[in-house]
Amino acid sequence: MELLKLNETPVRTSRNFNINNIKLENISIPQEINNFNNMQVYGDESKVIIDNQNTKLNLTYGLGDFFTNQVSNNANKKIKIVIDKKLNKEIEIDFKFDKENNDLIDNIEIVAEEQAKGTVILKYVTEKNIQAFHNGVIRLLAKKNSKVNIIVANLMNESSNNFMSIENKVEDESKVNYTIVDFGGKNSITNYFSDLEGELSDNKLSTIYLGKDNQLFDLNYIGELRGKKSNIDIEVQGALKDNAKKHFKGTIDFKKGCKKATGNENEACMLLSDTAKSLALPMLLCSEEDVEGNHSSSAGKVGEKELFYIMSRGFELKEAMKLMVRAKFNKILDNIKNEDLKNEILDSIDKILD
Amino acid sequence: MAKTKLEEINRNIYDIKNKDEYDFKIKKGLTKEIIEEISKQKNDPDWMREFRLKALDVYNKLELPTWGPDISELNMDEIATYVRPKTGLSNSWEDVPEDIKSTFDKLGIPEAEKKSLAGVGAQYDSEVVYHSMKEDLIKQGVVYTDMETAVREYPDLVRDHFMKCVPVNDHKFVALHGAVWSGGSFVYVPKGVKVDIPLQSYFRLNSPESGQFEHTLIIVDEGASLHFIEGCSAPKYNKVNLHAGCVELYVKDNAYLRYSTIENWSKNMLNLNTKKAIVGKNAQVDWVTGSFGSKISMLYPMSILNGEGAKTEYTGISFAGKGQNLDNGFKVVHNAENTSSLVNAKSISKNGGKCTYRSLVRINEKAKNSKSSVSCESLMLDDISISDTIPVNDIRTDEVEFSHEAKIGKISDKTIFYLMSRGLSEEDAKAMIVRGFAYPISKELPVEYAVEMNNLINLELDGAIG
Amino acid sequence: MLLEINDLCVNAEDKEILKGINLKINKGEIHVIMGPNGSGKTTTANAILNNPAYTKIGGNIIFDGQDITNEKTDEIARKGVFMSFQLPEEIPGVSVTNFLKYAKNKVTGEPVKIFSFKEELKKYMEELNMNPKYMERSLNVGFSGGEKKKNEILQMLVLNPKLAILDETDSGLDVDAIKTVSKGIEMFKNENNAVLIITHNTKILHSLKVDYVHVLVNGKIVKTGTQELAKEIEENGYSKYKN
Repeated sequence: MELLKLNETPVRTSRNFNINNIKLENISIPQEINNFNNMQVYGDESKVIIDNQNTKLNLTYGLGDFFTNQVSNNANKKIKIVIDKKLNKEIEIDFKFDKENNDLIDNIEIVAEEQAKGTVILKYVTEKNIQAFHNGVIRLLAKKNSKVNIIVANLMNESSNNFMSIENKVEDESKVNYTIVDFGGKNSITNYFSDLEGELSDNKLSTIYLGKDNQLFDLNYIGELRGKKSNIDIEVQGALKDNAKKHFKGTIDFKKGCKKATGNENEACMLLSDTAKSLALPMLLCSEEDVEGNHSSSAGKVGEKELFYIMSRGFELKEAMKLMVRAKFNKILDNIKNEDLKNEILDSIDKILD
Repeated sequence: MAKTKLEEINRNIYDIKNKDEYDFKIKKGLTKEIIEEISKQKNDPDWMREFRLKALDVYNKLELPTWGPDISELNMDEIATYVRPKTGLSNSWEDVPEDIKSTFDKLGIPEAEKKSLAGVGAQYDSEVVYHSMKEDLIKQGVVYTDMETAVREYPDLVRDHFMKCVPVNDHKFVALHGAVWSGGSFVYVPKGVKVDIPLQSYFRLNSPESGQFEHTLIIVDEGASLHFIEGCSAPKYNKVNLHAGCVELYVKDNAYLRYSTIENWSKNMLNLNTKKAIVGKNAQVDWVTGSFGSKISMLYPMSILNGEGAKTEYTGISFAGKGQNLDNGFKVVHNAENTSSLVNAKSISKNGGKCTYRSLVRINEKAKNSKSSVSCESLMLDDISISDTIPVNDIRTDEVEFSHEAKIGKISDKTIFYLMSRGLSEEDAKAMIVRGFAYPISKELPVEYAVEMNNLINLELDGAIG
Repeated sequence: MLLEINDLCVNAEDKEILKGINLKINKGEIHVIMGPNGSGKTTTANAILNNPAYTKIGGNIIFDGQDITNEKTDEIARKGVFMSFQLPEEIPGVSVTNFLKYAKNKVTGEPVKIFSFKEELKKYMEELNMNPKYMERSLNVGFSGGEKKKNEILQMLVLNPKLAILDETDSGLDVDAIKTVSKGIEMFKNENNAVLIITHNTKILHSLKVDYVHVLVNGKIVKTGTQELAKEIEENGYSKYKN
């Protein structure tokens, strides 16, 4: 495969703006998918079904046919996680790429039963120099009155490729908190779609991304508000150094019937070098009257005044920068209660900014 | 039914149809022969004839846009691209034929000319029928004339600038424009000359199943300044009319240009207009746009900030009612250091109308210390209308301050109650809130136009509430 | 009799708030409704002006001999009822002058002469220690809390209603601002109109003489008295009336 076109936005704009989709050249896609064995489950293992049968995918968006079909037909990990009222510990699944386990095609289904509460952590890490390939789908069904926390940590190295499609269905009065830490990958391409069909359904999506060298991030986040009084909050904080590039496409779509729904989207990009690039398309689509939608987007350098202030307290430039980036990320990192994971993420931030 | 009738009565000054009388109307469609015939009819110099034919080639090669409103109902085989009115160009309203003059009278153009304008151009179908400017400006070397005269009398200036700012391969309708353009205004303001009172060109399309393709070329030379107003309207017919004009603005170093538009095309018009400005060192171009008419509008004025310290502001409002799809916005490219852009865009959707704000802010690598601030607000007046915001922000360097904010929502019930508790009826309360919402745009317009805009808002709201 | 409320029951978002209110106000009187948070004070004010966000389920309201229970808000306003809002709305793009001129025209039904109107406005603004620059600013946009409240009093003076309802106009104001508000009320007050002050504290009563004080608890008026009653509540609070 030579030229891949993927991650289409729900609504097109002028082709000259180069944001309707992303084109990738010369991505090496594994033809033969071997088993992936380096996976660890922590927490309540009884809720994790390793050989899920429900694997046929019918995604509303996804990254594109090729990637969806690959997960649908050739997944080497088919996992179902059930969050029921008996769940008492958070579930963590770690995927570690190494020489023998180079390619991961995972198909993950999460079902939160009515009234249930729970946290799921999915972590992707790579051994130092390998070139890993990850293509995954995470589907979530949050049934009535459930409360779900999901944390996806992409801590892969920067020679790997990371492709992810996420889809949520949020029923009446359920609450979904999604946190995405997007650090790894030569290319890290994510599609996130949340269907807020339930009355009073609520989804909070918080993302931090951090790029260096020639990394490319393409984030295509879509929230569709259908239920009355439904709400979505999208918060994206990122920083780019060297020649790193980010495309952020965020859509909040107020569908007819979502009376009194609210949607907020805030995207901020810190540019840490004069060759880093931030492209953003924060869309608001609205076909209902009684709603409230806001988005804001900003880009620029780390504030020089703040930097000066921190340095006047004895920090050298690099340390001061790190402090500023961490400060921006802190609010989102607070979503992560698992201290080990949080420390691992903080270590990564330090390393990337070194 | 009653509603429609009300709207038609209210729109009456815009809707007066004159008989489709003309001196020459080219047959419908778009072929090499038709282009050659237009060129012959217009007495083009050779270079212009060749330019038109080349543009036609480009037109045939380019595809329709794959985004935005559906314009598939446009069939170029059904559109007459050139309609010459039954009169020549005059510089006295007395010489303009009675029915045409009476149309412009009702639109208030000669009146405004006396009161608040330094010069006026009036186009009827494909040709300019009236052009005049105050004596003192002529003495200072200001040129304000129709585009055809400019091609003849200022050949070098025109050749150096014509479709250089907006190249024919920009998009399909620019290529079409290049092939069939006719009419429009040419303005040259010499170095250092400040034109304090606005110039205005008014474009009226009377002929059914036809198109208007006027070309406006304005050069504001170093240190000069100008306020230019463009107005447009047409009576309503059952079949689509097409407007694919082109506006090219050259704002040289330290110059200033304000370009204001009140667009009130009839609701069978496809308005596929292209406007662009190239802005020099420490120069500034400001766009003020009120968009009320058209069935479909795709209009995104663009500022290219090429000179250090160049500035641009865009202040625009779109008001879409029943059957309207107004896809408007703004594009700015920062190409030099210390440039800045400020955008304040508003839209109102009612009665099933659709407004889209579509935009681009691009800050290129060289544009160190640039600033851009964008604010969009959309008002939904009912639950059958649509409002979309589709802004692209392309930031390619770090020494910038960029921010973008957008809001969408309805008029709050609390606000309506507050105003009603002061004795205003619900309709009055809504109208007051909407006028207030539009105020940042109306205050940028000369007072007559602000009044016209408020009248248009009232007229549109009557339809929504009545 | 200017206002007569009989057995008024009102719901807000399906919750029963007012459970049978009775109140009579004569011309020339100043009444105060006091009560703890959530007792139904603001609901009473909104119900008189028939805010559609509240539903009347029983009783009626007679103003100046006419039943206004189900009248539209603007018609009630034109009959001469004014309400000073606890949280005045912001209207961008509409100046204080234009707004008041328009409202005055609606309330009086007569054309407003711009020059004398502006003079009148200026005079009132001076009395209320308001910066005359506010005349041209957008209504309530960027006003501080105190400025918003003064602006409500200004509107009361300009529109000159028969009955002015002041909903928590004193709350959140410093001593000087409360004095200004009291001054505005005194300027307004005469024997042909009346004032209904709604408040949860008694500060404003230090600088204003009132005729009747009503205690509203849990959707009902549980006690009516004179200024003395306000003093008693200032000392002992509402606990005595809560059961």
